[in-house]
Amino acid sequence: MVDLEFFLEYYEFLKQEKEKGKKIIAYMSHDNIPEELIDAAGFIPLRLIFSGNDELMDRGADYLPTSTCSFALSTIGLFSVKPNKYRFLDLIDYLIVSNHCVSDICSSEIICKYFDIPRIDFYVPYILSENGLKYYRLELIEFKKKLEEIRGSSISNEDIINSIEKYNKFRKNISKIKYLDISGSDKLELYQKALLYGPKILELRDFNINNDGQIKIKNKKNVILTGCSIFLGDDLIEIIEEGGGNVIFLDTWVGDVYFSQTLEDNWLDQQKENDPFDILTEMFNRNTYTDHVVPNFMEYKIKKIVSIINNLKEKLGISNIGVINHIIKFCDHMSLPREQLKEKLQAKNYFVLNIERDYARASHGQLSTRIEAFLEMI
Amino acid sequence: MSLMTDDVINFTSMLRMSYDFLHSGRKFNIKSNRKGKKLISVVFPFSDLVFAAKAIPIFPIRLEKFKVNTYLEALNSASGLFGWKAVSNFLGFIRKFDFLKVFDGIIDDVINSLNYKYNKMYDLGIEEGVSNDFCYGIKALYGMHSSRHNNLDANLNVIIRCSAFNKYYESLKRFNDNLIWLDIPPRNIGNALEICTENVKDTASQLEKLTGNSITDNDLRKQFRISNECRELYREIIYEISNSDFYPCNPATFSEILALLSISFQDFNSNAETYLKNFRNLVKEMKERIRKKIGMDVSNRPRILLTPRFGGWEPESHNLIYKMGGRLLYADWEILGALENIEVYAYSDPIEAYAKFLMDITTKGIGCDNNALTDSYIRVARKMDVDGLIFIELFGCHSISNCYTMLRQKVRKELEIPTTALTFNKIGENIEQVKIRLGAFMEMFN
Ligand code: SF4
Ligand code: SF4
Repeated sequence: MVDLEFFLEYYEFLKQEKEKGKKIIAYMSHDNIPEELIDAAGFIPLRLIFSGNDELMDRGADYLPTSTCSFALSTIGLFSVKPNKYRFLDLIDYLIVSNHCVSDICSSEIICKYFDIPRIDFYVPYILSENGLKYYRLELIEFKKKLEEIRGSSISNEDIINSIEKYNKFRKNISKIKYLDISGSDKLELYQKALLYGPKILELRDFNINNDGQIKIKNKKNVILTGCSIFLGDDLIEIIEEGGGNVIFLDTWVGDVYFSQTLEDNWLDQQKENDPFDILTEMFNRNTYTDHVVPNFMEYKIKKIVSIINNLKEKLGISNIGVINHIIKFCDHMSLPREQLKEKLQAKNYFVLNIERDYARASHGQLSTRIEAFLEMI
Repeated sequence: MSLMTDDVINFTSMLRMSYDFLHSGRKFNIKSNRKGKKLISVVFPFSDLVFAAKAIPIFPIRLEKFKVNTYLEALNSASGLFGWKAVSNFLGFIRKFDFLKVFDGIIDDVINSLNYKYNKMYDLGIEEGVSNDFCYGIKALYGMHSSRHNNLDANLNVIIRCSAFNKYYESLKRFNDNLIWLDIPPRNIGNALEICTENVKDTASQLEKLTGNSITDNDLRKQFRISNECRELYREIIYEISNSDFYPCNPATFSEILALLSISFQDFNSNAETYLKNFRNLVKEMKERIRKKIGMDVSNRPRILLTPRFGGWEPESHNLIYKMGGRLLYADWEILGALENIEVYAYSDPIEAYAKFLMDITTKGIGCDNNALTDSYIRVARKMDVDGLIFIELFGCHSISNCYTMLRQKVRKELEIPTTALTFNKIGENIEQVKIRLGAFMEMFN
């Protein structure tokens, strides 16, 4: 898990960027936010990917009912309590209100309204179709306009293309860690840090992705983690490891779902002369694994999990892989399809565990017991 | 005895609407009763395209068998012979002698059997794997589909801002692969209206493909005229009749009528023309009764608006408020923007007009953010000139009923009327607590 030092470092990083005149644009939305445009505008995207605890959830409940997802409640709580290590939140200039899910809309709106942060709207269509793509493009145009208004000058196509290339390279690099022979918690930490720093991480850190060829994870009870992301500060992955397991693959947005959104270099080369909005729209089109869209989320999810398991078998020679479907309590996107997902995977003879939980400390004991029992079965 | 029976026994239109609501759906379980028409499940009042495609829209709970059907069946047979008016007069006559106790229970049965069925569907939804954490509406709807999916030809899924609901739509694939989608752009920016128009066209062609019927502009205009008139009548009840000092029945019955209208408005009891006829009669009867002073003086009763109701609420609330000296009003569809008229002009494109109607609902009513939504609550409460507002904090709702903090502030600033929130999970579960909360709230009007 990331330590206090990381938060301090991150605060310093944002502060320095701000001192250079850059604006910090934050958002809760898990997906489909065109950070390339934010980057092209010369601003810093800040993803709110921080997990919660009892206190933060309680404070969030001053604004939304307790039957709101624990992540959304905690994010509101963060702005209300402002724990010391999160003081970088004070540096935020704008917050994007988006509709990844309705909790995203409601909590982002509350954060803007009650904590005085100017909002930028960016809404994403729910159906991935030709018309959905046309609508996404409209939002991109509006979003760019808004960013230009903030920075007081226009953003050139060239700058956007450069940012697209930069982010593409960044995702490609980070995505390599998925088959790396390191523990799940190490992978998660890399993903989380990469999401916060963005492409900068490739410059800032000694980022060397190499597999030493020793398959250490082979002796572990390996599981794929799917469903809701493990956000920064959450110790779920440690609980799994303490129980003798290893998360060999993070099929979550903080993980492979985001970092697999890459474009082939030659395709990108061919598009360079075109309207950059076409490229960004195409990226949305290809993002079929996002949990935001309907109606084929479940089919794609199953297909992806099957292909991950086959790849792991083929590439690393690992069989007997379990699937843990992580559901943050009251999550609209992951909770409703949980039983169907389990049924469909079990029908393919996979071991599946649905764990639904919030960030309350009290639920930890029960959580580890369930995970241990599941790992025993693998 | 029901609080309402005395009122309703001579209230033909109400009896008829209740009958249609409970009975006319069940017959569609039998294919031959559909006369070759396709049966399409709908939720929310978006059934115009289905009617225009000459298919049958149905809010799926109406496919269930309700306990009261034997009484109503008899009434229906009698109405076939003598007409509804005669049946109603006959019922009123019989009631005077009070020897056929069975009639005392009719309306109670209508309400109770509906609630009983709703709870049953809710339980079934949970049994079928929907997490307890979702709202009452989603659990019950999932149960309805699980129970009757074999009889449905398709489901019309109109995208709304509630992500749980959109996921619920997708989950229906488990029962029926034939999902017909209608996407509404979340905001009206750029040429979003054009996109929405194309989406409506797509949906219309999916319906055409399913039914084998083409949807002409005239079909649409005809349907929009019918539904517009229903909307106008509905608004008349909400804004004029509910605002009068004399009600055509006791206030609890009046609430009951508003609740019935709001539930049946989703599929127009599967027959738009009959529904309109009943609606016209209802308004006419209401006005006539007011003119003849049949009903109740309610001038000293505070008017309380309860919302949102459509995702689940405690139906006992209006009886409680009545006993506590108030009158409870429901107006969800107006708050959510669904009672605006669809533009119908001879030379304009009706598909575009429908798209505009849907876009307006999305931006001003159901909305894409709670600001728009809470503004809508305030707009309607002000226009209805209500004296108090009860907000339902529905357990598991992350969309429509989670903006109480924001709403309360706006009510305080802009309306200065008392407001309170009631939590709701399941019908009948918390009546004692509801009673206490409502009691404390009604104290404010004494
Ligand atoms: S965890 Fe689920 S409900 Fe919560 S913000 Fe994310 S997608 Fe939305
Ligand atoms: S808006 Fe609320 S009540 Fe309606 S379906 Fe969504 S969660 Fe349920």
